[in-house]
Amino acid sequence: MHGQVEAIIENIEKVMIGKREVAELSIVALLSGGHVLLEDVPGVGKTMMVKALAKSVSADFKRIQFTPDLLPSDVIGVSIYNPKSLQFEFRPGPIMGNIILADEINRTSPKTQSALLESMEEASVTIDGETLQIKRPFFVMATQNPIEYEGTYPLPEAQLDRFLMKIQMGYPTAQEEVEVLRRTVNSEPIAHLNPVITLEELLALQEEVRNVFVEDSVKSYIVQLARATRNVSEIYLGVSPRASVALMKASQAYAKIQGRDYVKPDDVQYLAPYVFGHRIILKPEARYEGVTTEGIIHRIVEKSVIPIQRYAER
Amino acid sequence: MKKNSFKLVELALYYIVIFFILREWLIPIMELTKTGFIGLILLFVAISLLLSLFRIHFIISWVVKIAYITWFITFIYGGVFFFSTEGMYFIIDDLQVNFAALLQGDWLGITNPFRTFLFFILIWMLVYLIHHWITVRMSIFYFLILTVFFIATLDTFTQYDGSFAIVKVMLLGLLITSLLFLKRLVIQSNSKINLIKYTKLMAPVVVLIGVISIIAVLLPKSPPQWPDPIPFIQSATGQGEGIEGEGNGISKVGYGENDSRLGGSFVADDTVVFLVESETKQYWRVETKDIYTSKGWEQSNYFDGELLNFAPDETIRHSLPVGPEENTNMATVQVLYPYNFIIQPYGMKSVDIDVPNFDNQTVELMMERNTEKMQVLVNRGVVQLNEFTVQYSKPVYLYSELQNPTEQIDASITERYLQLPETLPDRVRELAAEIVEGRETPYDQARAIELYFRQSGFRYDTEDVAVPSEEQDYVDQFLFETKVGYCDNFSTAMVVLLRSVGIPARWVKGFAGGDVVDNNGSMSTYEITNNHAHSWVEAYIPNVGWVNFEPTIGFNSTRSIDFDIETDVEQQDELVAEEETEPTEVIEEEREEQQQSASQGNTWFTNVKEMFEQIKLFVIALIVLLIVGAVLLYKWRGKWWPKVYVKLQRQKKIDESTFESFYLNLLKLLEMKGFKRKEGQTLEAYAKDVDMYYETYHMTNITKAYEQFIYAKNSTNIDFDKMRESWEYLINRTTS
Repeated sequence: MHGQVEAIIENIEKVMIGKREVAELSIVALLSGGHVLLEDVPGVGKTMMVKALAKSVSADFKRIQFTPDLLPSDVIGVSIYNPKSLQFEFRPGPIMGNIILADEINRTSPKTQSALLESMEEASVTIDGETLQIKRPFFVMATQNPIEYEGTYPLPEAQLDRFLMKIQMGYPTAQEEVEVLRRTVNSEPIAHLNPVITLEELLALQEEVRNVFVEDSVKSYIVQLARATRNVSEIYLGVSPRASVALMKASQAYAKIQGRDYVKPDDVQYLAPYVFGHRIILKPEARYEGVTTEGIIHRIVEKSVIPIQRYAER
Repeated sequence: MKKNSFKLVELALYYIVIFFILREWLIPIMELTKTGFIGLILLFVAISLLLSLFRIHFIISWVVKIAYITWFITFIYGGVFFFSTEGMYFIIDDLQVNFAALLQGDWLGITNPFRTFLFFILIWMLVYLIHHWITVRMSIFYFLILTVFFIATLDTFTQYDGSFAIVKVMLLGLLITSLLFLKRLVIQSNSKINLIKYTKLMAPVVVLIGVISIIAVLLPKSPPQWPDPIPFIQSATGQGEGIEGEGNGISKVGYGENDSRLGGSFVADDTVVFLVESETKQYWRVETKDIYTSKGWEQSNYFDGELLNFAPDETIRHSLPVGPEENTNMATVQVLYPYNFIIQPYGMKSVDIDVPNFDNQTVELMMERNTEKMQVLVNRGVVQLNEFTVQYSKPVYLYSELQNPTEQIDASITERYLQLPETLPDRVRELAAEIVEGRETPYDQARAIELYFRQSGFRYDTEDVAVPSEEQDYVDQFLFETKVGYCDNFSTAMVVLLRSVGIPARWVKGFAGGDVVDNNGSMSTYEITNNHAHSWVEAYIPNVGWVNFEPTIGFNSTRSIDFDIETDVEQQDELVAEEETEPTEVIEEEREEQQQSASQGNTWFTNVKEMFEQIKLFVIALIVLLIVGAVLLYKWRGKWWPKVYVKLQRQKKIDESTFESFYLNLLKLLEMKGFKRKEGQTLEAYAKDVDMYYETYHMTNITKAYEQFIYAKNSTNIDFDKMRESWEYLINRTTS
């Protein structure tokens, strides 16, 4: 495993018990320049996870608590008239940070949601005809609660596509839960977390990830999986080419944190459910029959053909 | 020492059982192929088994076996001992003939000695295989299954009765399988065993087998549940319709000994058998036959097997007339085929054999008086000649004498040569009487019969020739039903017709004159092939003796007649036209046919086809065996392929260029071992499974490198020596 990544994960593990996989996946998204949607019931540590990650990196951390009355300007910022200078001055919103926690993203109005998602995609904000670049690294971790429907605005499929991955937290095991209790009995561990990686190091790492080699045969393999989702009877809409790109980039990052400078089909297989899962729309009848996107992707992966020969056009 | 002797006894026990099982294999083969000397062949089996029992060094063992085989062949076929000059010559000649035959693809031209040789080699291989099964695999089950199948098949499809043999094989098979099972048990349990223990263990098995067999014998048995498959198969394949009896099927043309069942088609064979250098073209007699059986020809033993011996160059006494002294000619005959008889021209006077290697040995000519077949004896053993010279003077029959039936024919001739089967239908006799009606003299009558075939819608053909059924008469069928046939049909029919009208006649076998291939002054060289094998007729004409007749359409008579009396001019013209005084010329149509068949015979395809016709059953059995073998080989590839593969791969180096094939083959090998990788399973996951099973890390090691090799940008840092190490380890684990 990559040293710096290992350090971050260890740091997170001081706070989060038994969530190494989620931490690893979050770092994959961070390194490949994507964003993560954390989805689970309240109280399993979604926010803690993001906080811990943000604290491990000496980055500018912002938190946006989404509520039904939040306005787009509350997210991206607003121009205010300065009576002294007789000019409008831009007051940047919380989006202009490095690591942003978008808490309970499905509680706000679609208008605000799309403001956030647009800036996520473009990595810039446009106010009053002026475009401002958001500084790098820019990493959004949104959380949402899947069980409440009253007063929520579920994200439309097109918006979900902007997230690189959707990760479910899941409950800790009994043993892990006991450990959680023990640690929090008389202190708040998150308060003692120190950064283990600088912003520059993070940027350099991102650059390295972009240079991870993807053999053409592996690229074909990714496409093979993507195309397979478009030919399944239970699926209403398969994944877009954007998903293929996302899977490749995520795989590069995953390979990097495994300490490799090339992508293996193993990486692709491992990440496929996280990258493709939220981009697939099941047919209603399939959903009623209890089919899950995860199950389908698992089946697709099993039926795929791994390239086991050297790519011919070398 | 004691342990060794015990092992020897044990092995000897197996071999004794095996010997008896092999005997059950050989007996039906011998019976069906009408091969004799089973005792000597079993002796060979015994010798082979003994040699492998005592682990005799293979060189000695080979020498012994080869010596035995050559002794057998020279003794049985040549009647000479191998360790003598003739023996050597016999072997060398035989090898030459067979290699020539093999090279030409003439499978049927292979001589019997060579076939015997191949048969011995087969037995040799079988013994070796059994040795391997017993000592290495310690399992003989497949051999037993095969034996049972073999006997069952023969029992079903041939006259061989295997009902007792199959019981014997079952009993012996049970015995040897249990013996071997015991041996495997002993080896597995790693326990020491001695004779007493062994006997104690074996006793219940033997008792059990005994009890089972007694019960099996005593129990009532139901009759066969399935009908006999043979009639069904025949009707399904369209065989057995109209053609019955043993003589059906297609045979190859050539000189054969057995004429007891005539009929059936044959295919051409243009193998050159004799080269004759002579001034005249003539028929060449080999032998005569006298008893017509309604199916074919047999030989009576009128002269009680009397043999006439002559020295080379001595005047030979025979039953035929000889021409005048001044007409004496010489013919040199080269024998190019393993025929061991002398071909005789009409008017033969003497035979000269000039073979240098027979110096200082008694060389005799022997004539079997019943058939007038001549052979050459050296030291009282029949030999095959390469060349001989015949002096002959062709008989010239005076027309006046032919037409002068005053002589009373000797009883010895009428007695012998007027025989006809009692079952001969009356219409044959009636036809004969009809044909000769109005002809006064026996010669004219014979001429009428000779010419009858040419005028009554008969056709010459070698194909579509019928075989008489059990109730049918060969001649009757030809004369009244089919009217299609070749020389045997015509000549036999003529003999029967002649005898029906009271003219003594006999059936002659030999060769027609052949084709001219070279001219040298007055001498011509005639090439006689197996296609020229022929049969014709000799009739006894009072005052003159035996005169040859040629009833077969397409062949012309070779008699020389001196028209010494005044006849009606018209009649004489007719006679001259009919009686070719020149040596036979095959008529045009016939010649074309011969050439056609010869050119067909030339092609390899026809050879193979005809061979296939003959050995159809065998080929089908072989194909089935091959398919079964291939399927089994494929099924058990996990057992043998890794060993072969590893042997091949060990010599190769693992490097950048070969790594991929090494790894992919390793995957295949593991798959054969049951590690099936699903297409969607990554190599890493697969490697973990494999390593988990073998409790090692080598598969992961080699897989990591391979993944780098195929997925990474550069793979320069792969340590191929380590890869070799891991590979060797995995190979050893998988193949052990």
